[in-house]
Amino acid sequence: MSEPTNETIQVQPPLEPELKASPAAENQALMFALAGWLIPGLGHALQRMWGRALIVFVSVGLLFFLGASMRGNVFTARGNDAFDKLGYIADLGTGSFYFLGRALEQDGADVSHANGDYGTRFLATAGVLNLLAALHAFEAARGRKA
Amino acid sequence: MTGGLVLSHFQAFLIFAAVVSVAFGFLGRRQPKDRVRYILWSFFLFLVVGIGIGWLMFPFSR
Repeated sequence: MSEPTNETIQVQPPLEPELKASPAAENQALMFALAGWLIPGLGHALQRMWGRALIVFVSVGLLFFLGASMRGNVFTARGNDAFDKLGYIADLGTGSFYFLGRALEQDGADVSHANGDYGTRFLATAGVLNLLAALHAFEAARGRKA
Repeated sequence: MTGGLVLSHFQAFLIFAAVVSVAFGFLGRRQPKDRVRYILWSFFLFLVVGIGIGWLMFPFSR
């Protein structure tokens, strides 16, 4: 066992405090996220991330269009159980597409066939993907992701 | 079935995997080369996992 020495303990300097965005920048980031939710890709477009904006818009739009074309279920707030409510939250993630889908829906859902069921999954995925993109736009505006 | 787009399970699966992989690639990576690699890798994993789970469920399908 080594003998104790009189070496002084090196104290590490405190780490630099994490750079915090100003309240105005935080509000702007929140606005980008809301814009991105309402119109898929807008949160990125406002930050001049054109490629990401286009891909988000096309991806969410395509999934939603295919889901609606397959007569998937566009859930409403008046769900019967927890799964309906979760489906509603996921569908609502598509922002304006959800309201457009509800307004243009003519024949209604048909989940008695497999394609209607696939469509329901496509619609939910479109919503969750858009929420993820809106979160990404929010983080990018705060300088956390690029 | 009256009206509506009709896709087979596999066609729906391929479209789903492709669209989600492209979105993940663009959101998750910045450089074009990294994006392409990420998209291909993600798409490949979707296929492998999806078909793998399908085969795992095969013994219980009847």
